[in-house]
Amino acid sequence: MWYKVMTGFGYWDVYAWLIFLAIASFFTLWLRGLGRDDYKEGTYQDEIYFSGNDVPEDGEGITVPADSAYWGFKKALAPYYKVLVSMHSGHVIDYVGYLVLVTGIITALIVLV
Amino acid sequence: MKIEKYLDIFPKSLWVFLVNSGSCNGCDIEVVATLSPRYDIERLGMKLVGTPKHADILLVTGPVTRFMKEKLERIYAQVPDPKAVMVIGNCGCSSNVFYKSYNLVGPVDNVLPVDVYVHGCPPRPEAIIEGAAKAVLKLEEKKKALLREQSELVKAGAE
Repeated sequence: MWYKVMTGFGYWDVYAWLIFLAIASFFTLWLRGLGRDDYKEGTYQDEIYFSGNDVPEDGEGITVPADSAYWGFKKALAPYYKVLVSMHSGHVIDYVGYLVLVTGIITALIVLV
Repeated sequence: MKIEKYLDIFPKSLWVFLVNSGSCNGCDIEVVATLSPRYDIERLGMKLVGTPKHADILLVTGPVTRFMKEKLERIYAQVPDPKAVMVIGNCGCSSNVFYKSYNLVGPVDNVLPVDVYVHGCPPRPEAIIEGAAKAVLKLEEKKKALLREQSELVKAGAE
């Protein structure tokens, strides 16, 4: 049977998780049911609030994304970011290599100082 | 289960959405002063919200410009029932010195049904708080009327 999903470190009890899911779903749906259902369908109340304007299909030309709040920060630190981004090659071996290298340097510093 | 059906008083704090339909910003500054520590209307539960969909009251400042008319109507439509409209300042109440201006639709009640008028140029925070208290009474009346309508519909359906 598949009531226990074995992992390298232990197991997941499938039935316990299903029971948890059922209880969580019950409370979620109950809380959702407490919300308002008296909005008027087919009117503006169905639509997204966009400061009273029509919601644009493609808002790229007229909206400024929230991460632009960090523009100055990113601009000022661009030289450092450039190095950091270039270091993110996507290869786990590289990251483990950085870890080993930094650990080695720190260990050497501790031993020598 | 609808908890609010079993409560006699207004079931939640007053949430307000502020629209500037052409104001000089003087009234908006007074609204902010109403929220600031000296008057601190949030201690009474009233707070500004970021979307009309969460609001009970639409607070409008300034006369309605032609540019803002359609937007104001849409925002009003997005406030769920029961809702009340409160106009802050002389310009919103009567267009004030801008009366007959070429680019105005007029005072707010030319566009929306207004429940509470707060006069002043700009009105003091005390006046805005008193207006909010009057708006609560209006809202309670509207809520009762809505519940009455609903129960009559249910009765008619049962018959």
